[in-house]
Amino acid sequence: MKLLERLLDRTRGAFAEGKRLHRTKPVFDAAENFFFAPISRAKSAPFVHDPLDIKRLMSMVIIAILPALACAVYFFGLHVLAMVVVSYAAGGIVEVLFAVVRKEEINEGFLVTGMLFPLILPPALPLWMVAVGVMFGVLVGKELFGGTGRNLFNPALVGRVFLALAYPAAMAGNWISPVAEPPGRILQYVSSGAVDAIAGATPLAAAKQGQLAGLQEMFLGNVAGSAGETSALAILLGGILLIMTRVASWRIVVGVLGSFLLMETVLHYTLPGPIPPPMWQLLAGGILFGAFFMATDPVTSPATTGGKWAYAIIIGLATALIRHLTGYVEGVMFAILLGNICAPLLDEVAVAVRLRRLAHES
Amino acid sequence: MTATASKSPAACGPCAAGLLCDGKAGKIVKDGVWANNPISIQVLGICSALAVTNKLANALVMGGALIFVTACSSLFLSFLRNATPRKIRMIAEVAIISTFVIVFDQLLRAFYWDMSKQLGPYVGLIITNCIVMGRAEAFALQNRPIASALDGIANGLGYAIVLAVIAVFREMIGAGKLLGFSILDKVWYEPNQLMILAPGAFFTLGILIALLNALRKDVPETKP
Repeated sequence: MKLLERLLDRTRGAFAEGKRLHRTKPVFDAAENFFFAPISRAKSAPFVHDPLDIKRLMSMVIIAILPALACAVYFFGLHVLAMVVVSYAAGGIVEVLFAVVRKEEINEGFLVTGMLFPLILPPALPLWMVAVGVMFGVLVGKELFGGTGRNLFNPALVGRVFLALAYPAAMAGNWISPVAEPPGRILQYVSSGAVDAIAGATPLAAAKQGQLAGLQEMFLGNVAGSAGETSALAILLGGILLIMTRVASWRIVVGVLGSFLLMETVLHYTLPGPIPPPMWQLLAGGILFGAFFMATDPVTSPATTGGKWAYAIIIGLATALIRHLTGYVEGVMFAILLGNICAPLLDEVAVAVRLRRLAHES
Repeated sequence: MTATASKSPAACGPCAAGLLCDGKAGKIVKDGVWANNPISIQVLGICSALAVTNKLANALVMGGALIFVTACSSLFLSFLRNATPRKIRMIAEVAIISTFVIVFDQLLRAFYWDMSKQLGPYVGLIITNCIVMGRAEAFALQNRPIASALDGIANGLGYAIVLAVIAVFREMIGAGKLLGFSILDKVWYEPNQLMILAPGAFFTLGILIALLNALRKDVPETKP
């Protein structure tokens, strides 16, 4: 650490005002920030009270994702790791570019986006698509709105929706069938070229053909699907950590999952034939990953308690409805983006209701 | 842009003594194509600009249609500007505009049936295009015929150029082709189908307007 400090102190001069490298000062700041204490106060959401700051908050999310990442690598192979690396590199370029042009700091928020993005993609997606998707997500989903704290939509989901519309065949076909026996696929590298031999249908897609995957398989992760959503157990481990450290709001998680289960129950008992039971639905697809990691993003979710409940219920209901009543197999992505759009309005309504009640009481 | 006929026109380029367009030809053209471009500055006619720009050929035909309609309707409205009672001018405008739109639509159907099918209702919808009506209200009713026709051509041209630029990007990225010829997809290229869909048009137009605003010095920029 001492060595690092001395190195940073020695190079600091080269980034000072008027010096040659001044334009790239955000890169230096980010490096210093990463290793040592932050040097500035937060000016916009996510606001967090002491002793947490944005950096710690984001680090906690990264730690919480690690079990899901480990499962993804175990079941689907090393290509997932390559996707994470590409996602960080390509998105990082956009991030650094904007920080330099705007003369702002590089924000730690990207560390989370860059990690979440590959985990919501099919695990054999070509690497260049990962790069295009994350660049679009960061550029349009975040930077054009003004950067971290000002974005309306979750950048990772913007990137995914872009890929899903731009390359529908690749996004619907690069699923890998998992291997459960040790050592899984942990020593294999399955990219899109080799995927045909071991392609697997996701549980939700198979269910439309009338084949239901086993609950235990889905709970442990032995099913095809987006890289990070495969194992419910790993998601729960990370998700409970997030809720215990209060990084994620339990209201949002409970609201999303509760309203989702309620809607699925109603749908299942009105149409028991084509629609599998609610507990099965909970473990299939991306609803758990979305509820714990995507919907709880502090920037794009409402800040008020009432707003959070309404937001969560919108997402839960929309997910169930999109799953069963549209041509799409999975609806979490669209549902959360829909919730994101509503978030500012819900906050406004919640504040107005609160004010009116206060005025009434006094 | 509510220019009135000036008393002493200055000499101007090719037209004799500048009498025909009151010596403002240069300004009219510059306004229509660049300084007051109907799409990128006034953000009018967006509906058709988003709908027909998935192929360059469609965009060019649509641009041509708008140049024809705006020029002709502005010309004739200007002829009739002193004879039109103010209270019913809107009806007169719509009648004249729809005449030219129908002429163009019928020509397209007669000779280029495939193109007519691809453009669908959008040629007919030029009748309700804000640009045509806007030029009639804002310019043709206050100016002489030749100047009005020139204004119509300039604004139509401004519209056509922006459409063509959007269409080049959308067809090139979305299909790897240009005017139907293979360009990018001759070599390795995976078409980005989003660009063919409506969101592609929104993104392209949004980015284009942002770039143009960045180029123009007179648009004040405020940082939030």
